[in-house]
Amino acid sequence: MSEVTEMFSAPLTFNWTLSYRCNFTCDHCYSRDEECPELITDDLKRIVDILVEQQVPFINFGGGEPLICKDLYEIAEYASKSGLNVSMNSNGWLLDEAAAQRLKDVGFKSVGISIDSFEPSLHDGFRNMPGSFERAVHGLDALHKVGLKSTMSSVISRINYQAFRELLDLARDHGVGQVYLHNFKCSGRGFKNREDLDLTPEEWQAFYLEALAVKHQTKDLKISFDDPVIASLPEYQEKTMVKGSSCGKLSLHLQPNGDITPCGFIPVVVGNILNDDFESIWFDSPVLKAMRSKEATGKCSGCAAFDDCQGGCTARAFATTGDFNQPDPHCWK
Amino acid sequence: MNKPLRNPEIVWRVEKRRQAEVLKALETGEDVADTGTVILLLSGMMHQLNLIGGMIWEQCDGQKTLADIAGELAKEFSVEQAEVESDVAEFVADLAERGWLINE
Ligand SMILES: C[S@@+](CC[C@H](N)C(=O)[O-])C[C@H]1O[C@@H](n2cnc3c(N)ncnc32)[C@H](O)[C@@H]1O
Ligand code: SF4
Ligand code: SF4
Repeated sequence: MSEVTEMFSAPLTFNWTLSYRCNFTCDHCYSRDEECPELITDDLKRIVDILVEQQVPFINFGGGEPLICKDLYEIAEYASKSGLNVSMNSNGWLLDEAAAQRLKDVGFKSVGISIDSFEPSLHDGFRNMPGSFERAVHGLDALHKVGLKSTMSSVISRINYQAFRELLDLARDHGVGQVYLHNFKCSGRGFKNREDLDLTPEEWQAFYLEALAVKHQTKDLKISFDDPVIASLPEYQEKTMVKGSSCGKLSLHLQPNGDITPCGFIPVVVGNILNDDFESIWFDSPVLKAMRSKEATGKCSGCAAFDDCQGGCTARAFATTGDFNQPDPHCWK
Repeated sequence: MNKPLRNPEIVWRVEKRRQAEVLKALETGEDVADTGTVILLLSGMMHQLNLIGGMIWEQCDGQKTLADIAGELAKEFSVEQAEVESDVAEFVADLAERGWLINE
């Protein structure tokens, strides 16, 4: 058994894509061009039962845009009544006060809204949807009004990396308690548009140094990064539950047909939650095992940070080289 | 604190495989005091409780008194209730101080 499975008998979180359908076509989106058959409501409930049986405590709906899925409310209610902690991410377009109230009523613990620039025109351009900034901000206000906890997700890219402080202020002004500054993944449309959107390794390093300094000074807002390559910075002092990427260790991803992948950014299916024995997948999948015990390759061999960094983001290494063990292309070392 | 209750903000689970391993190790007389069998998740941080701590934690449902919990534990390990009472009280007081248990 690896250290991870010695510790965890199941992941803590399932990121669940009910459908890849979406009302937007964002430039950076890893999932927008995916297609996949979807399950009927009863099968979705069976999945919830399996997650409960496996003692998975958290599920987070992504996509696609969850608010256009007709099953969202029913499945979320079924899951929260079964004891799961339910959250989701949304572009906010359909999130008026009635929707916010309904999300609260079916038991959502929190809802994340994606806002990628504090400048409406930049956000709207990035998301290819005029008016989307305004509606996303209204979404945050609607959540605040009904008393449902909100978070904000911003994918760091060329359009916002020098103005992330303004994004934090925007969050403050709309009652958000936690901001995720997500690192850019070169998958899907993000891969096609990476030349225009992604930062250079040196820019990532400079961004993280600045953002960490701001995080250390900030008391009124929780700022989260989910980028393993940050662990190579001496300024990064956080204790994390696992080293390196958390996918396949703390979390897994569910596709609309019940196929399991390590995360949304790694399109390698390790099994199907309805058709395969979950414990065999979790404990024995060769793909998950490989992700949990990476081998230092290329410049990672001999790198003093490997113990903490584990070669950085496995999804990015895989997307650009087809090999989990290659160094993260964002690495500045 | 008479009837301790788990703080509802804390998400937790019994790691069943590890619990089974620890119980097996216990039979062969190994020291298992430092092996966690219950994980607690609290604002992005994880904490672990060992076998005994985890058993006490599982009982803290706001219904059982400290004496009830000590009684259950004594039964589990075939010892006198009086032998475990002070340990239970100490453990519960420690977790209450951290805010992980509240008084019902
Ligand atoms: C795929 S979306 C699904 C939920 C919803 N449609 C939304 O936009 O929030 C989930 C999150 O992934 C982010 N995302 C999409 N493509 C990404 C990429 N290439 N790298 C990093 N994050 C990405 C989105 O910006 C969003 O915050
Ligand atoms: S990021 Fe969200 S809103 Fe944008 S295309 Fe992808 S799924 Fe749709
Ligand atoms: S060389 Fe590899 S281990 Fe070292 S910081 Fe870069 S990605 Fe991380």
